[in-house]
Amino acid sequence: MSELRNVAVVGFAQAPIVACDAHRTATEMLYPQVKRALAECGVEREAIDYQTAGSADYIDGRPFGFVAALDVMGAWPPKQDSHLEMDAAFAAYYAWIRIQAGECDTAMVVGYGKVSEGQPERILNLQLDPYYQAPLGLGPMTTAALQASAYMARSGTTDRDLAEIAARNRAAGARNPDAQVREAATAEALQQTPWVVEPLRQGYVPPIGESAVCLILAAEGKAEELCDRPVWIQGIDQRAELQTLGARDLSRSASARLATEKALAMAGLDSASEVDVIELFATNPAEEMILREAMGLPPAGETKPVVNPSGGPITGHPLMMTGLIRLGEAFRQLSGRAGAHAVPNARRAIAHAAQGHALQQNLVFVLGRERRWS
Amino acid sequence: MTEPPKEPVKYVDANLYLPYRYTAGDCRARFLHALKDKRILGSRCSKTGKVFVPPLVSSPESFAPCDELVEVSDRGVITTFCIVNIPVIGRDLQLPYVAASVALDGAALSIFSAIQECKPEEVRMGMRVEAVWKPDGERQGSFEDILYFRPTGEPDAPLESFVHRL
Repeated sequence: MSELRNVAVVGFAQAPIVACDAHRTATEMLYPQVKRALAECGVEREAIDYQTAGSADYIDGRPFGFVAALDVMGAWPPKQDSHLEMDAAFAAYYAWIRIQAGECDTAMVVGYGKVSEGQPERILNLQLDPYYQAPLGLGPMTTAALQASAYMARSGTTDRDLAEIAARNRAAGARNPDAQVREAATAEALQQTPWVVEPLRQGYVPPIGESAVCLILAAEGKAEELCDRPVWIQGIDQRAELQTLGARDLSRSASARLATEKALAMAGLDSASEVDVIELFATNPAEEMILREAMGLPPAGETKPVVNPSGGPITGHPLMMTGLIRLGEAFRQLSGRAGAHAVPNARRAIAHAAQGHALQQNLVFVLGRERRWS
Repeated sequence: MTEPPKEPVKYVDANLYLPYRYTAGDCRARFLHALKDKRILGSRCSKTGKVFVPPLVSSPESFAPCDELVEVSDRGVITTFCIVNIPVIGRDLQLPYVAASVALDGAALSIFSAIQECKPEEVRMGMRVEAVWKPDGERQGSFEDILYFRPTGEPDAPLESFVHRL
């Protein structure tokens, strides 16, 4: 691996996830988070070279909706800017590439979206092919349930196993002030909740939520000025699976496995078990098990590394932001900002983001308190 | 493969139905509610003092919060305009009509509206105009409570007075 620029996460701000913020529009929710992230870095907007957003026009309910975010991102005088119709974690990956290319030294990455304004199950149905899949009414909960069934059949996982994973996430979420579901619940209780789409129960999946998120990246030389404890990106990789659901083995995530291997190799690590914390984009317990397996970890039970100490997406899943929040959470853990849900002495972390039906696209960051390249 | 069928399926129709309910937000809600009383609110930038109409929670220009709501006049000046000969979606306006940018007295930015009650060729930059409101009892707290703007007959404003608000 040739030498790359050391790039760090140096700031992160997130609005607590709520079902609906009736007082603010999407950009009005975002503005205070942009201000907070800059304030955390002790800088004004002039310190940011490049900015990018992850959002979806179908969630905004208007074409080119992302341009509205410019007004609250400090984009004046005009800045280098781009947008991804993806979870904002993928925008962070893109920003990292721009920094590697030498086009900028600092980047602001935002995620936003008023999920409560539209109907996400309808919107994400349209992501499927319009001939055979979308007309069936398949939505993300249905494709997730198909994947969960496939995984359970292959692995022998039971409903009780799913309930225990959900309960562990719920217990963790109770300690995270930004989580949406903050009441712990026992596996017994969660197992009594009704099916949403069998084998997924209401207690295993997140409610609809919205937030606004801003994360700041900076290259070595700038990062130390912006943050007392920069969290360095040591490895990074992104892989996508085929669009045709029937062409995939839904019981596994080949792309998460490969992305993890490549990101670990870039970081100079052999195994995901060498990190202290993993934040997974797992929106139900079966996804968590599939991802843990893909990363070479035991699919269930308490592990070192600690998985989703924030409560994970099961306790808060704001579309287009859930992945960037994983990166922000990893930053919080390694920079001593995780408060009540801190993992003691965490030095390395993995932040994972996914996009698309049944974990179609996977992005893995390996992060650490030390610089990767000398 | 044999011959294709004589009546192939050429298209698959899809009628996409995606309802939205846009959140007004407290700031916009106050603006819209005031229109019921024929009042136009703006927000003042805490850094530059500029007044934005409709109100914004933050200034795109200075990046500072704009927390203070202030009332502005329903009269102003045409800063730029065009004569439209193509029909507008959702509005029943006689063609051609004038679409104009109107800087209200007290506001740093312009709003957009139609100009009526005069011939299109009479419209000019600097022309003084006033809002024509829906009648009492019909206003809903919507931007459409302002039907259009019309000339007031006051002397034109000199270019220097609105050149910074183009």
